[in-house]
Amino acid sequence: MTIPTLSLPRTVGLARANATLVLRNRFTLFNAVVLPLLPLGLLLVGDSGGAGGAGAAAVATVLMMAALFPVYYNLLSQLVTRRDELVLKRLRTGESTDAEIIVSLALPGVVIALGTAVLTVPVAMALGQDAPLNPLLYAVAVVVTLMLFAALACWTAAWTRNAEAAQVTSMPVVLLAVLGQAAVGFPADVRRWTDLTPGAAMTDLVRVSWFGVETGGTDRTLDLSDTWAAAGQPLLVLTAWAVVAAFLARRSMRWEPRS
Amino acid sequence: MTSTSSPTTPHIEVRGLRRTYGTGAEAFEAVRGIDLVVDAGTVVALLGTNGAGKTSALEVVEGLAPASGGEVRVLGLDPVADRALVRRRTGVLLQVSGFPADLTVAETLRMWAATMTAPRPVEEGMAQLDLVDRADVRVRSLSGGELRRLDLACALLGDPEVVLLDEPTTGLDPESRRRVWDLVRNLRDRGRSVLLTTHHLEEAEALADRVAIMHAGRIVREGTPAELSAGHPSTVRFAGVGALAGLAHLPGATRVATDRGTTTVETSDLQTTLTALLVHAADHGVRLDRLEARSASLESVFLAIAAGDHDDESGVGDAGAATTLEGVTR
Repeated sequence: MTIPTLSLPRTVGLARANATLVLRNRFTLFNAVVLPLLPLGLLLVGDSGGAGGAGAAAVATVLMMAALFPVYYNLLSQLVTRRDELVLKRLRTGESTDAEIIVSLALPGVVIALGTAVLTVPVAMALGQDAPLNPLLYAVAVVVTLMLFAALACWTAAWTRNAEAAQVTSMPVVLLAVLGQAAVGFPADVRRWTDLTPGAAMTDLVRVSWFGVETGGTDRTLDLSDTWAAAGQPLLVLTAWAVVAAFLARRSMRWEPRS
Repeated sequence: MTSTSSPTTPHIEVRGLRRTYGTGAEAFEAVRGIDLVVDAGTVVALLGTNGAGKTSALEVVEGLAPASGGEVRVLGLDPVADRALVRRRTGVLLQVSGFPADLTVAETLRMWAATMTAPRPVEEGMAQLDLVDRADVRVRSLSGGELRRLDLACALLGDPEVVLLDEPTTGLDPESRRRVWDLVRNLRDRGRSVLLTTHHLEEAEALADRVAIMHAGRIVREGTPAELSAGHPSTVRFAGVGALAGLAHLPGATRVATDRGTTTVETSDLQTTLTALLVHAADHGVRLDRLEARSASLESVFLAIAAGDHDDESGVGDAGAATTLEGVTR
């Protein structure tokens, strides 16, 4: 797989138009801007000062919503709608590369998701949570998660007939994301498997990078220096998912509606 | 068209192009080996009925689809492998395409301009296609004709050397159509090359330096409009069926037919036939209502090919197409 180079002016020019479109449609606006901010309210009820627990769960939920709605669902529905409108086909007759077209569609949602991830830090601290232990690792976790969900959106779009169908075809990925978080209460035998889902890997990374809590643990046991090693497995899981998703998306990408 | 206006390489060169949809038993070959050359400063029209393979062929030239066989060169480059280089110098209008419904005309053109290396000003593009009044109107509120003009404005925004237009005037009112024709002529006069598809015979006749008639995936005739219609009959037509009474022989006429009160005379020598007819009418005090005389046109060429289609409806394939070609040249 070759990493394509992007022209910044082209990508930004297209992304600006896409951002305008997201803001002009009440439904996409709600999905992209309002929904990811709602779980910040969970931090209000999370136990303050604790090393993880409800605080970690709340932060993980904020990030998961940010990955699912502004990035995954938004990119999925933009891809499908623009494909139906024959906009993607039109764009491909111009100078834009395929990568620029996709990145520009994802960019508005990714910016919102990144903003949400950043905003979470002061909000959580103001509400009594600890400051992130390893902010760089936290940032890496956020970026890899968003890339994974963007790739999953491209792959889902390949077999989604239209924007309405996206409500159904998005369910497997949503379940995959939620499963990992819901699995906290599952028996250990089951969790060995659910740990391999993107949702669980992302939750683990939040607990390690921000709260210094090891996978499966509840208390702060890690130093800053331990966090990178502890993050190894969940980072590997997320990256593996991202590579597979990108590969599938690349293979199955469709640029015009089925005739 | 002489080669004086063309530099060393033709702007578009198509050799043995094939395009197949699907695989195995369901495979359908829409383009069955066509050759086409478009020189700089010329307009070439691909003419054909719906389903003849025009769009399938053009999409390969546009670089949107790979060829199943043969070769395509645009400005000497491969439109798929050299995509970035080719796109900078070509303008494409798809047969059906779209723009986001919630952007305005000006926003759409600005978006398009942002993707280009050297766009002209957006205002100039809007003015060229008479869209200035509609600048702040959302795409979803545009009429079909306005949408087509916006699409054309995008295609021409980079002042491309090679322009590919798939049915550029479909859905346009007569005035807009003339405007587009003027645009195309202007492009040619400035040394640009234009490859367009159309099923309007008069459009091909009015615009094209060369016409290639496609039928069932093949180019069955190719030449200037005059070359193509040579050998086909001219027609004289008038209302009424009794005007020829008492005229034993109309010189030059190859066929006389009456249908629903209209007489149609086909002739190989329009002037002689028409003179004889008018003299006869004047001598006998006959008034020829709705009199019409037309030189041989693409229409008769085209109809002959379409008629050939009916003949070999049962036998699809190489033999059938060969018969068609033969029937036409005869």
